[in-house]
Amino acid sequence: MKKTFFTTFLLLTFFIPVMFPQEEKKVASPLFEQPLLITSAGQSAEVRLASVLAKRGELNFILSKTATPKDLENIKTLALVLGVSLKGLGAAGLDIAKEKERVNLLVEEAQKKNIPLLCLHLGGESRRGQLSDAFISIFLPKAKMVIVVKSGNKDKLFTRLCEEHKIPLIEVEKTVDTLEPLKNAFK
Amino acid sequence: MRKMKALFTKKTTLSFIISLLLVVSFSCRPTEIKIPEPPSDRHQPYNFVGRKGMVVAAHHLAAKAGLEMLKKGGNAIDAAVTTAFALNASEPFASGIGGGGFMVIYLASEKRVTVVDFREKAPSGIPGEIFNDKGKIKSTGLAVAVPGTLAGWDYSLKKYGTKSLADVTQEAIKIAENGFAVSQTFSRINKDQYEKLIMNAGEGTCYLNKGFPYEPGDLFRNPELAGTLKLIASRGIDEFYKGEIAQKVVKAVNEKGGVMDLKDLALYKPVEHPPVQGTYKDYTLFTIPPPSSGGVHIIQLLNMLENWPVKKWGSNSPPYIHHLCEALRFVFADRSRYLGDPDFIKVPVEELISKKHAKQIVSQIKPDSLLDFYPFGRYDEKKNDQGNTTHVCVIDDQGNIVSLTQSINHFFGTGIVPENTGFLLNNIMYDFSRDLSSPNAVGPYRRPLSSMSPLIMFKKEKPFLVLGSPGGTRIFSSLTQIIINITDFDMSLDEAIEAPRFFSYSSQGKPRSISLESRFPEKTYEALKNIGHSIRIREAFDKYFGGAQGILILQDKKVILGGADSRRDGYGAGY
Repeated sequence: MKKTFFTTFLLLTFFIPVMFPQEEKKVASPLFEQPLLITSAGQSAEVRLASVLAKRGELNFILSKTATPKDLENIKTLALVLGVSLKGLGAAGLDIAKEKERVNLLVEEAQKKNIPLLCLHLGGESRRGQLSDAFISIFLPKAKMVIVVKSGNKDKLFTRLCEEHKIPLIEVEKTVDTLEPLKNAFK
Repeated sequence: MRKMKALFTKKTTLSFIISLLLVVSFSCRPTEIKIPEPPSDRHQPYNFVGRKGMVVAAHHLAAKAGLEMLKKGGNAIDAAVTTAFALNASEPFASGIGGGGFMVIYLASEKRVTVVDFREKAPSGIPGEIFNDKGKIKSTGLAVAVPGTLAGWDYSLKKYGTKSLADVTQEAIKIAENGFAVSQTFSRINKDQYEKLIMNAGEGTCYLNKGFPYEPGDLFRNPELAGTLKLIASRGIDEFYKGEIAQKVVKAVNEKGGVMDLKDLALYKPVEHPPVQGTYKDYTLFTIPPPSSGGVHIIQLLNMLENWPVKKWGSNSPPYIHHLCEALRFVFADRSRYLGDPDFIKVPVEELISKKHAKQIVSQIKPDSLLDFYPFGRYDEKKNDQGNTTHVCVIDDQGNIVSLTQSINHFFGTGIVPENTGFLLNNIMYDFSRDLSSPNAVGPYRRPLSSMSPLIMFKKEKPFLVLGSPGGTRIFSSLTQIIINITDFDMSLDEAIEAPRFFSYSSQGKPRSISLESRFPEKTYEALKNIGHSIRIREAFDKYFGGAQGILILQDKKVILGGADSRRDGYGAGY
């Protein structure tokens, strides 16, 4: 009897996770603290979108599209909105190299101060491409969590990078669906 | 006997089946040519085919609306205005009644080409200095010029059309009421302009989906625009220029720091004038004179290209790109020195489009190096000069043609929507120069310099090509490349439209880098760098270079081809 029970238990232990795999988008508990600093990595318009989401989620946030290390004062979370827009870069008086350098300095400083990084990709498929992908590859591995609009992950770039670096990934259908996971990610 | 009976039965059955198949096949045979569906890869060149008429526009619903008008007996002008109204509903971010534009009309019975100019004008109270140090207009309201679109459409319709405003607005009203699924293009532009829309139209605007950008496939409806169009259809355009809508426009502009008054709207009038005309080899070209620079510059570029062995160099070859870019740099120098509103300054159009002027420039261009200086002036660089605007081509069964380019300037214009009207106001004032000594300086009632270049090209006095494009200052460069692709590189219409594009210009006499789509071979980029050009590689099909629409008339085959650019959502509808 004991043996049968033990065998059944082992089998169930083995098969249940296989039969009902845990969804990759489930994040057990809030990972981040407030206030958060929202900035862009590539100057796409989605940085503004992230701020509207944060506002609707009643999060305590500061938006600075071109934040520098000194803006991290009293900040508990850094949110990077990934996606390159040449128009946005032009309007901010930046080019790819300068933007990369700015974000790099910011992330390095955040790491020094143990400020966790949240990466958002809200532009979907149209905000992918050589330039955006370069930013994704550099900064996403440093994130503690990633939220991505599904169409931006058609080729599973985000899935692959998150698996490789063991980062929780949340995929949402539409930009508006980012609101709940964003709220839930914060204490 | 049984065998005979069996055979008879088999034979009868067989004959019956064959007869039935034949009858069915003949009775179902279409009387028109079967036109294949457009390919699923929208970048694959595809020519829409027609025999009697054709409408090409930047949205399939707008092109179909125009085609329906042709089928109902409307002429090319009726169909063009129908399509233009429908574009306000289906592609609202690029044009609409809050903007302006230019229309080239060919009247087949008179064998005459004419131009209707409904470019926006600066308000009477505009201050001399509207730009700040960073090149931005000091307030959003100051960016709005007096819209000319409705006045231009109404003028063209009354003078050359056969239908009423109520007839030509029907389809647009349906589109605005019923809505449509948002495309990838719409969604991307909506996301790009999100900040402007949030700030100027507010989270509750129909141009956002509950405060967020539209995703591809979302339903976009604009009942307020439908209401505005119904008002205009029933009361006429005075409702817009002198009535309740005029009051809403003025209120919305001035609340955002503008200076427009009711008199500015009431006084707005479109202008009809002769086209500017040029030749390229056996072809004659009719297009827009100033205040658009585009027509003059296309003729200038073609005049220069006539002097070079373009065909021998080959399509998109390094020498072709190098020479055309050098030509563009001279053209931009001319643009900043001479071009502006001809009602206020003298523009030496005849001199600029002369073959002599082209030869003078050609003699300075070196085959294997860049010039250090392009001596005629300086180009006023604009940071936000994006690929915007829209183009419509129409031909009817009588041979009448319309080539219409219209705009609200940047995508979604200012983002200002007058209260409950559903239409966007332009930010055309950005087309003025920041330099107060420029021929294109700001002033009351002035029309800012445009690059729009709707054109009609003739071969041996018969219409051959109808063409136009959005794309800011890339318009005349892109259209020139399309023309050369057809005339010299023997491409079909849509091949010519989809082919990789490039662009360059000069600023303050100095050459700027060449922007190229990423589809050129690596060796082309290297060859250009070796000549001394710096290059900037853009997307494979980048709407920065415009979204051209064209119609090619093959007189000998009695076939009309439509070409629509996949850089945006171009679509053709022929019959």
